[in-house]
Amino acid sequence: MAEDLNWAVGGEAGDGIDSTGKIFAQALSRAGRHVFTSKDFASRIRGGYTAYKIRTSVDQVQSVVDRLDILVALTQRTIDENLDELHEGSAIIYDGERSWEADIPEDAAAVDVPLKSLAEDAGGAIMRNIVALGAACEITGFDVEYLDEALEKRFGGKGSKIVENNKEAARLGQEYVQENYDLDLGYDLETTDNDYVLLNGNEAIGMGALAAGCRFYAGYPITPATSIMEYLTGRIEDYGGHVVQAEDELSAINMALGAARSGARSMTATSGAGIDLMTETFGLVATSETPLVITDVQRSGPSTGMPTKQEQGDLNMALYGGHGEVPRFIVAPTTITECFWKTIEAFNLAEKYQTPVFLVSDLAMSVTEQTFSPEAFDMDAVEIDRGKLIEGDDEVDEWLDSQGRFRAHAVTDDGVSPRAIPGTTDGAHMSTGLEHDELGRRTEDQDERVRQVDKRSRKVETAKEREEWDYREFGDADADNLIISWGSNEGALIEALEYLEDDGIDVRIISVPYIFPRPDLSDEIDAAEETIVVECNATGQFADVIEHDVLTRVKRINKYTGVRFKADELAEEIIDKLSQEVPAQ
Amino acid sequence: MSSQSDVRFTDFKSDKQPTWCPGCGDFGTMNGMMKGLAETGNDPDNTFVVAGIGCSGKIGTYMHSYALHGVHGRALPVGTGVKMARPDIEVMVAGGDGDGYSIGSGHFVHAVRRNVDMSYVVMDNRIYGLTKGQASPTSRSDFETSTTPEGPKQPPVNPLALALASGATFIAQSFASDALRHQEIIEEAIEHDGFGFVNVFSPCVTFNDVDTYDYFRDSLVDLQEDEDHDATNYDDAKKVILDADKEYQGIMYQDENSVPYHEQHGVTEDMSEIPDGAPEDAMDLVREFY
Repeated sequence: MAEDLNWAVGGEAGDGIDSTGKIFAQALSRAGRHVFTSKDFASRIRGGYTAYKIRTSVDQVQSVVDRLDILVALTQRTIDENLDELHEGSAIIYDGERSWEADIPEDAAAVDVPLKSLAEDAGGAIMRNIVALGAACEITGFDVEYLDEALEKRFGGKGSKIVENNKEAARLGQEYVQENYDLDLGYDLETTDNDYVLLNGNEAIGMGALAAGCRFYAGYPITPATSIMEYLTGRIEDYGGHVVQAEDELSAINMALGAARSGARSMTATSGAGIDLMTETFGLVATSETPLVITDVQRSGPSTGMPTKQEQGDLNMALYGGHGEVPRFIVAPTTITECFWKTIEAFNLAEKYQTPVFLVSDLAMSVTEQTFSPEAFDMDAVEIDRGKLIEGDDEVDEWLDSQGRFRAHAVTDDGVSPRAIPGTTDGAHMSTGLEHDELGRRTEDQDERVRQVDKRSRKVETAKEREEWDYREFGDADADNLIISWGSNEGALIEALEYLEDDGIDVRIISVPYIFPRPDLSDEIDAAEETIVVECNATGQFADVIEHDVLTRVKRINKYTGVRFKADELAEEIIDKLSQEVPAQ
Repeated sequence: MSSQSDVRFTDFKSDKQPTWCPGCGDFGTMNGMMKGLAETGNDPDNTFVVAGIGCSGKIGTYMHSYALHGVHGRALPVGTGVKMARPDIEVMVAGGDGDGYSIGSGHFVHAVRRNVDMSYVVMDNRIYGLTKGQASPTSRSDFETSTTPEGPKQPPVNPLALALASGATFIAQSFASDALRHQEIIEEAIEHDGFGFVNVFSPCVTFNDVDTYDYFRDSLVDLQEDEDHDATNYDDAKKVILDADKEYQGIMYQDENSVPYHEQHGVTEDMSEIPDGAPEDAMDLVREFY
């Protein structure tokens, strides 16, 4: 892989860290460089330490590493928080005129730039972060003109004056370093002619929803799911759709269910305690056979937990949440592009099988911005399958009983019943959370109960046969060491391969995007000498499921600090774990 | 949709026999709903009834239309979703005093605020009937029940006042046994441009021996007979809604300038219609991220 550069801007929450980082990421993307970003942020508007980190290379990057080359530090704490990652050859850009006495580690190059004064020269102190970006350009040999495009995108709506001032601020920073420092740290950011798009997992989910024909979204704001709602707001209307902010998650999921009963492709998304509230309605979605996509962008729990931190702790909830036995599908995208494609798939599964589909993402993916070729989101490849939706009135006739009543929950070979939506002549019917007969009318008849339970279960069996439930595979297919992962750990694992190769260790990586139904990994685990399941939770929820599937013990790597896996750290953990004994049966 | 003359109210009746106690107010409430829907030009195939949980929740089974019988307290959110996705469909939400004013009270406030163009019919019997006689949010403070042997000792919710305080554009009250007036009021609620809320006194003959047919027959004042009451006047509405001495039937309040949600937000499309693939200009969505 080509050489990478690791850059960060850090300060207090409220310092504009996020938008500063985003502007630099955008500039790198415009220069045809790949970008992978991560955020360390606190759940406060002001007061906490926050940082936006960028890893960039001309090759695809899909993980963070424990190394920082350029750090824009707006506070001393930013330096202190990142001491472990700084090295000989790192540069720290800071403002020596500010009140704090900068304590710069010996190895790193101290680049003191009067950020505030130069920003004032350009038109306002508010642009001090942009001055720092200009300084960073000079140190990394990166043409400041790429910043211009990003600044136009960011500030274009605020008028040309603001854009020009920001461009000037960047130049003042760049020139200051050029004139006052003679640094040769060896950074020279190469550019390419490639056009990339830069987006995060939540934006990919939102875009996937629009591509899939989602027309209704109801939600209640919650970190880190809110940005899906914000993405759709202002865009879904272009397609005749609507986003509604409900009074709580109980309402949100029921509104989404109502819209789905009306025939709209409908979705809600939440996280943390929001998914707990929505659990109330899981069973109704399933028994009323309503196609609904329920997105859970996992964050650290339980209870309020660490709302802005990463975790993959909701797998059991997704599998088992809700009283009684609730047939469902669980799809868990493993990359940002897969957030897009799996969302489309979730809508198709929901309508084909008239079943709740859980789209389980996580915080790390929701806040990470990553570059992709636009073809990775090829809209021509989007397929829509609405299942047994009755399109014409004449189709209703074959599903009427002898008294002309529509059999909305007709027991069929594949378990899937015809679906008539309001306005369809003679399709009027009742659906309910009560056990019911084919007409949707309440029943407690034993045979009827068994027929309907079996019918709903059969939909899952049918889907198991008809659909592909493949895993994604990387590394050496013949390796003795098998690493299994779900969710967003895939990128870090792929990059860990390089570190493992350096140590002469071959591994096969299986990244599983389907939690239920899921691929049978018996043969793969049998063929391996060692199996390790990697996930961001404390108890190993996916490892438990895998052990249950294949009736053998696996090793586990669990991280629950609230921070996603890093490639180099993961490689070390794998090496360490391979040398340990397999836990007792 | 069939023309008005084709539809009879019995078209809205299913062949399932109600299991309500003989004499239950819900029979009369439901008849008025069916007649009101038929009289306002609807038919079962363009009507969606959402029912909550409780005795009142059974109504979806006894009526014939598109219907969903949902989770306790969440009928209004379901109706909201149905109507937003399909403005062409007539939506009527039905529930009881427990469903609407206890477990669902949060949704009630916000449904009122949203002013979605649908009707909400609450069968208020001031008791929990299906669970065999416990206090409801509208039970009197001295009403003795199995779970409140000395009465709830807290004032009942005034649903009309709650609606008024939440910014309602249509507030009415009817009595299940006064069939003609009940039906008229339901029709007004259906035809109102916005959220048409009707609290219906629907006596429970089994568990409530206080708020009986006789009680309402003797005490209800019909606003139709009160020449001084102007339903479009907010102060008039406030006066009757907050009157601690009398109970009324009729339309308490109707905002003539009500702007329903779909007009306020430009939600007018039939959301069930989508293309076979991604929208034609969908690559523009990708290019936004350049």
